[in-house]
Amino acid sequence: MTRRENRAALLFLSPWLIGFAVFTAWPLIYSAYLSLTDYDVINDPTFVGFDNYAELFSDPKVALALSNTLFFTVVQVPLYVIVSLALALLLARAGRASGFFRTVFFLPKMTPPVAVGILFLLLFNGQNGLFNTALGTVGIDGPSWTTDPAWVKPGLVIMSLWTVGASVLILLAALRGVPDELYESARIDGAGWWRQFLSVTLPMISPAVFFIVVVNTIAGLQTFDEAYTAFFGAGNTTYGNDAALFYVIYLFQQAFQFLNMGYAAAMAWLLFLVIMVVTAIQAVVSRRLVHYEGGTAR
Amino acid sequence: MRSNRMAASALMAGGILVLTTACAVGTGGADDSGAEYDAEAELTGELSVMGFGGVDEVATTRMDLAKEALGEVEVSVAEGELDLQQFLSAAATGDPPDLIYANRDQIGSLAARGAIVPLERCIEGEGIDTGMFVESAIEQVTLDGQVYGIPEFNVVQVTMANADLLEQAGLELSDVDGSDWEAVTAANEALTKSDGGKLSVIGYDSKLPEFFPLWAKANGVDLISEDGREAKLDDPGAVEALEWAVGIYDAQGGFGDVKAYRDSADFFGEGNQFATDVLGAMPMEQWYINVLGDVSPDAPMAFTTVKDRQGEPIAFSSGSAWAIPAGAANPEAACRWARVMTAVDSWEAAAQARVDLREEEGKPFTGLLTGNAEADELIRGMVTSGGEPWDTAVASTYEANEHTFALPASPADAEFESAMQDAVNSVLSGEAEPADALAEAQQTAQKALDDAWAEMEQSQEEG
Amino acid sequence: MSTLSGSLGKPGPLGQAEALVAAPVTADAQDEPAVRRKRLPSRRRQTRAGRVLTVIALTAVGVVFLYPFVWLVSASFKPRGEVFDNRLIPETFILDNYVQVWQEAPLALWLTNTLLVTVLAATTVTLSSAMVAWGFAYYRFRGRGPLFALVLGSMMLPGAVTMIPTFLIWNSLGTVNTLIPMWAHNLFGSAFYIFLLRQFMLSLPRDLFDAARVDGANPWQVFWRIGLPLSRPAIAVTLVFEVQAVWTDLMRSLIYLRDSANFTVPRGLKALLDNFGFGGEWHWEILVTASVITTIPMIVLFFVAQKHIIEGVTAGGVKG
Repeated sequence: MTRRENRAALLFLSPWLIGFAVFTAWPLIYSAYLSLTDYDVINDPTFVGFDNYAELFSDPKVALALSNTLFFTVVQVPLYVIVSLALALLLARAGRASGFFRTVFFLPKMTPPVAVGILFLLLFNGQNGLFNTALGTVGIDGPSWTTDPAWVKPGLVIMSLWTVGASVLILLAALRGVPDELYESARIDGAGWWRQFLSVTLPMISPAVFFIVVVNTIAGLQTFDEAYTAFFGAGNTTYGNDAALFYVIYLFQQAFQFLNMGYAAAMAWLLFLVIMVVTAIQAVVSRRLVHYEGGTAR
Repeated sequence: MRSNRMAASALMAGGILVLTTACAVGTGGADDSGAEYDAEAELTGELSVMGFGGVDEVATTRMDLAKEALGEVEVSVAEGELDLQQFLSAAATGDPPDLIYANRDQIGSLAARGAIVPLERCIEGEGIDTGMFVESAIEQVTLDGQVYGIPEFNVVQVTMANADLLEQAGLELSDVDGSDWEAVTAANEALTKSDGGKLSVIGYDSKLPEFFPLWAKANGVDLISEDGREAKLDDPGAVEALEWAVGIYDAQGGFGDVKAYRDSADFFGEGNQFATDVLGAMPMEQWYINVLGDVSPDAPMAFTTVKDRQGEPIAFSSGSAWAIPAGAANPEAACRWARVMTAVDSWEAAAQARVDLREEEGKPFTGLLTGNAEADELIRGMVTSGGEPWDTAVASTYEANEHTFALPASPADAEFESAMQDAVNSVLSGEAEPADALAEAQQTAQKALDDAWAEMEQSQEEG
Repeated sequence: MSTLSGSLGKPGPLGQAEALVAAPVTADAQDEPAVRRKRLPSRRRQTRAGRVLTVIALTAVGVVFLYPFVWLVSASFKPRGEVFDNRLIPETFILDNYVQVWQEAPLALWLTNTLLVTVLAATTVTLSSAMVAWGFAYYRFRGRGPLFALVLGSMMLPGAVTMIPTFLIWNSLGTVNTLIPMWAHNLFGSAFYIFLLRQFMLSLPRDLFDAARVDGANPWQVFWRIGLPLSRPAIAVTLVFEVQAVWTDLMRSLIYLRDSANFTVPRGLKALLDNFGFGGEWHWEILVTASVITTIPMIVLFFVAQKHIIEGVTAGGVKG
């Protein structure tokens, strides 16, 4: 590479280099520093050592936020995978009609998350909402999704299933990528549909499944938009919304409502740690469960 | 190649250093010690107001008068209720509005934070007579002997009931006005109708968590001491009040069901709960009388004050107040605006504007609760009759206005309220028992109060 | 804290991060038609009954998926008292809401703001990311691998970690309460799109570019005149994804926008909910109408750019 080539390369890379320095590297360092201080933007930061981290462990709302978030993620991700897989399987058998239905399933994904939050409040109203009315027609007495703390998170999980569209698409493409010969040989060996599914389909699409799991877990751990829209903000100050207090929501409150920026920074690092640990566990588990074509792990 | 990379990394490191030092500085707050308040002085510059959503004739009349008094000053009002987050961030970024319109129960925390300034000099300079305000109102904005806000409006509660439903159940208005809690419980059971889990009629709505202080006081308990230092959330009387008020909801299937039903109702329209006979009775803020009168004048209403357990009228008052943020660019204009907006003359003119408007519409003028006791008296004389039940409603409103109480200001207003609400909400959701929830809230609130008072006293010593 | 830069953790609604790994959006990306041709005839013995059942099941689910939209649109034609009556056809059909909503809130302003931000954000991120991607794809320099790994790594960062210092930066520049922080970070590229574009560019024939250099074109011209136009499919995906992400971004608007005149659509919708929902006068009919109006552009976007969206979304998950 000539000197000139190098300069050219640097030029092309410069936007990202600057951006990385300003919006990633520096914030990382400064955020770590802030997490060791008390800072409310009005007054200078005061160094407090690890006090913030200590308080993380004794703050009941942090524990609550973590448990809410973990509950949501643990329930939502498997359901998400199952539902999108089921829909993808249906689409795979639909032949020419699959294009139309694919659009139908994907369309909700284009709805702005704020609108989804509003829809949740309206459709899942315990007394007059559409969802409970529909449940009523089959004799089920739906709970008060929007006001009963025990049902708020399940309600949000169900609402989130409305936007499985992208995962369905990915799984559909993965399903279509499974070579027919494998099914043929399985059939020849006498395997029924379920057996074929377990020994051919699942392993062959496992990379796609794995990535949907990882991505949605990380997204779930940071869920914010729909719950914040529906349960937090200026119009919601008096009623109990602890059931929907997710981790990033509490972080946001600490940073921008209570102006405890140091504490919020510490919360952010804890979140980072949790995500890293969870992703690492998933990566380890994937070595055993995920089958890569050609045998090489990615 | 290497030198290029080194140059790049040096640039990065340098940039990081510069930014670190640049951003690590607090933006600081200021006070109004530089301001000179004088009611006679001519004012210039700009005035930015945040948190005032005034669009009706009562607001605009006074605003016009205020603008007149301000002369050359350019006034800009940011519409919409005060978003505390917005305000605090604006203050933090060194660009606060000149004047804010906040809820009175927020003043204490704002003052303790140093986000707003004491109004002593403003009051003296502009000649505001604080004695003319309703006592509980001025108490709410006085912290440690210093006044931090100029009160505007008073909101009180009145018992509102559907007379037809009461009659059908063989009940009297006195059964639902709170003077006898057992009677209310019984009335609630008689009035509530629910089929399986689906509510069709709400019997009584005890309006938790907002009205918890009302019920506590009705039971003789002040949730916080008058000097704002001692929380009394775990007082047995308070526990009793909470138990009773939550019991009202439990008898109807739980707070969740009642709230969901309430949420989907047409509260402000002609299909409101009273007009459609799906609500028996509830304590409600007095402005709802006007709404009812406008959208459903034929609804079978009955009104009286809320009564405490001794049978005396009682109301938990709240309202707004004008406050001047620290670091405001034009505090003199801010102070004058506050003075004129709350002056007796202005209220009179505003009331007259409303009287005229109501006359045109063929509707009665139901009075105004201004937070200014002198103005209140004056305006009461301007009330026009609208027949029953509206005349009794208005009379109840004024009676309630004379029996108000409020939670005194404290530097930990926000934390106190939040602890209180959390406790009530946890009981409403069935997660805790009243005694335990309030005991925990007491601990949290008292600690917050102690810390906040200590901090305030310390900074006063230093300042 | 955009939905993309520095956060694998918060994939944009289209699942940008789902397309993170491996499969390039190749220049000759065949999507399903080719695949379908190969699969269908020899697929498992599908009986006609089986096919019919499948279509029935799909239709049932399809109705469930589409009904919320139908409900929303239907509710927007109802007066306030009827919004919750769940009737498919409004009992009282009114157009008033669509007139009133523009007066109740500065919706037109919000739409304009969002359009401006979206266009700026999408074009800047596409251009800057393409530049950086080009740098990684065409140029072979020492440390290219590790540096690119750094780019990928930066995607793993949860947005929350950098959110506060980023706010402080914009604050110190005095840009809080302006629209600038909503898009200006895109001037520096976004790791996700850099990855996407680089994958694509790697599949382009090098000889073309080398020949151009020999012919005397300078590095920028090679990129601008040849490399970029050839990357059109990936560019299209980038543009569409970013448009969708920025149009619907709530968190950023919550942090940076104060005056309602500066609101973008998500922030405005939230303010509408706060002011007209429980906290306010319970004008549900205004709320649903505004929701319809603000969702329609995204639906339109989908139908216009369907091919690109699907291509982009499926690119990643297949090869795993």
